[in-house]
Amino acid sequence: MSDLRLPALKKNTLRQRFTMALSRDWQLWVLLLPALLFFLIFCYFPMYGVQIAFREYKPAFGITDSEWVGLEHFAEFFSSYYCGRMFYNTIILNIYGLAFGFPLPILMAIMLNQLNGKRFKGFAQTAIYVPHFISTVVLAGMIYLFFSPSSGIINKIIELFGGESIYFMIEAGWFRPLFVGSDVWQNAGWNTILYIATLTSIDPQLYEAATIDGATRWGKIKHIDIPHLIPIAVMMLILNCGSLLSSNTDKALLMQTGGNMETSDIIGVYVYNTGLGKAQYSYTSAIGLCLNVINFAIIMSVNAISRRLSEISLF
Amino acid sequence: MAKATEIRGIRIKETRSDNIFNACNLLFWFIVLFVILYPLWLIIIASVSDPDAVMAGQVLFLPKDFSVIGYKAVFEYAELWSSYANSIFYTVAGSILSVIVTLAAAYSLSRKFAGKKWVNLAITFTMFFSGGLIPIFLNVRDLGLYNTRTILIIMNTVSVWNLMVARTYIQSSIPNELYEAAVMDGSNHFTYFFKCVLPLSGTIIAVLAVYYGVARWNDYFTGLVFLRDRNKLPLQTILREILASLSISGSSETFFASFADNTEGLQEAMRKAEVAKYCCIVVSTVPAVILYIFMQKYFVKGVMIGSLKG
Repeated sequence: MSDLRLPALKKNTLRQRFTMALSRDWQLWVLLLPALLFFLIFCYFPMYGVQIAFREYKPAFGITDSEWVGLEHFAEFFSSYYCGRMFYNTIILNIYGLAFGFPLPILMAIMLNQLNGKRFKGFAQTAIYVPHFISTVVLAGMIYLFFSPSSGIINKIIELFGGESIYFMIEAGWFRPLFVGSDVWQNAGWNTILYIATLTSIDPQLYEAATIDGATRWGKIKHIDIPHLIPIAVMMLILNCGSLLSSNTDKALLMQTGGNMETSDIIGVYVYNTGLGKAQYSYTSAIGLCLNVINFAIIMSVNAISRRLSEISLF
Repeated sequence: MAKATEIRGIRIKETRSDNIFNACNLLFWFIVLFVILYPLWLIIIASVSDPDAVMAGQVLFLPKDFSVIGYKAVFEYAELWSSYANSIFYTVAGSILSVIVTLAAAYSLSRKFAGKKWVNLAITFTMFFSGGLIPIFLNVRDLGLYNTRTILIIMNTVSVWNLMVARTYIQSSIPNELYEAAVMDGSNHFTYFFKCVLPLSGTIIAVLAVYYGVARWNDYFTGLVFLRDRNKLPLQTILREILASLSISGSSETFFASFADNTEGLQEAMRKAEVAKYCCIVVSTVPAVILYIFMQKYFVKGVMIGSLKG
């Protein structure tokens, strides 16, 4: 591309350079425009609107003319009774999710790569992606059905072995296992994509050389597969750390019942219920802003640390 | 299971430890596949079984007392089908919009131009920082888009991730020489994009269509937050009332009532409602899964190419 441009004979002023660039690239900008408009309207407008977190929002005055109250809403949130519980619930849910949901896709990718039969391999790969295409509502519905105390299959099996049926959906202790378990079921297969792509890009000569040198399958995994997977795995880990405080609000909202509030009361659901349900716009905007700032800080620092230690980073 | 690997004509026997490994690996995959596929199978067989057998937990591996009573009930439930039509409309219109906007932007970002660095930065930033649910809601309301069908189509038009996948695909699979040749022949960005890039992007269009289509089909939250009129709601938002609830009848009064007033009595209505839930799941999930299975071939290929440098 660059070699198609005319060489500049003398230094142009900023304005000349601008008009030159525009006359050269305007078509690219036109193609880019719809996407840019989308990001402007649906991502950057709300970022501007987040200032209501520092105001007492009144619909009559709008976003910019409501009364400025500074950090009042933040103070209210941090001193509220449920603040600690919500932070704890959100973080612990994500840590569990990471502990079970992060290693499994790597293991599955490695094991899939070692499968011999081509057809079985293809079938397995197709099958593990299927749960990803099920909607959150249906997934939650499946949990309600399978774990129902009266007719759910899980409780029927428990009863078969002489146990007593468990009220899974209204016991606080079962919210996290069900939430994380269903998440792993739905996404572990899907999340292998990146790792499988990495493994298939490895030069087959490496494997051939290893085979000739007498390496076992386990040896090949240890000395070829895993070293190749580490950079991408670290990148995924950094990305995941960036959402330590955000959570799958859609799903938690569906799985929250009166009984499991103690563990299912996470920040995202609270923002939805209080913000939209009770129209406390400013207060919940402040909570949302807190979350985003903390998440952003975490991902930046984890990224920086990783760059220092291992020279692997997102940007 | 192959007993030996062949490398350039040399056959190398697998060792005993390899055979053990292979056996373990097969076992691993049988367990994984069972865990993944059994719940899906269970839904299907329960949906065509007799309600009493389902509630007694007798439906485990095969349908019992075959009956389509649940499907009949679901087909008679009008609100489900009007929301079904809504969902088809939102999904088709929204996905077409998404694919066009994403592809055009991806093409631009695959070329060099002044200011590209800033555009990239601005777009990536939205991945890591957002205004949050409430400011987004107020923004939509102030734009006058609350409770309109438009918002369900233009909300989530572009996903940054898909944009990057598409850009990487265009960069890596369409040679730059083609662009140079096209420019020599008097082509500009528009003609090159429409006449060269689009015809060569079949795979990535398929991938984007599946990504966007499935995400839209499965989305209930946008409808929940931005719509008020029941006749505009998409399928998933209606399903939520039926499925995600503790009571047998579902929290949706109308869903339950539609069975109850058929004069068969409460007992019969509850029986039907239980199996009807399974049928709802099948009816709502089949389009997404079928789309995936049909597109599967392009799909794995395209995602691999796109995600490699992503």
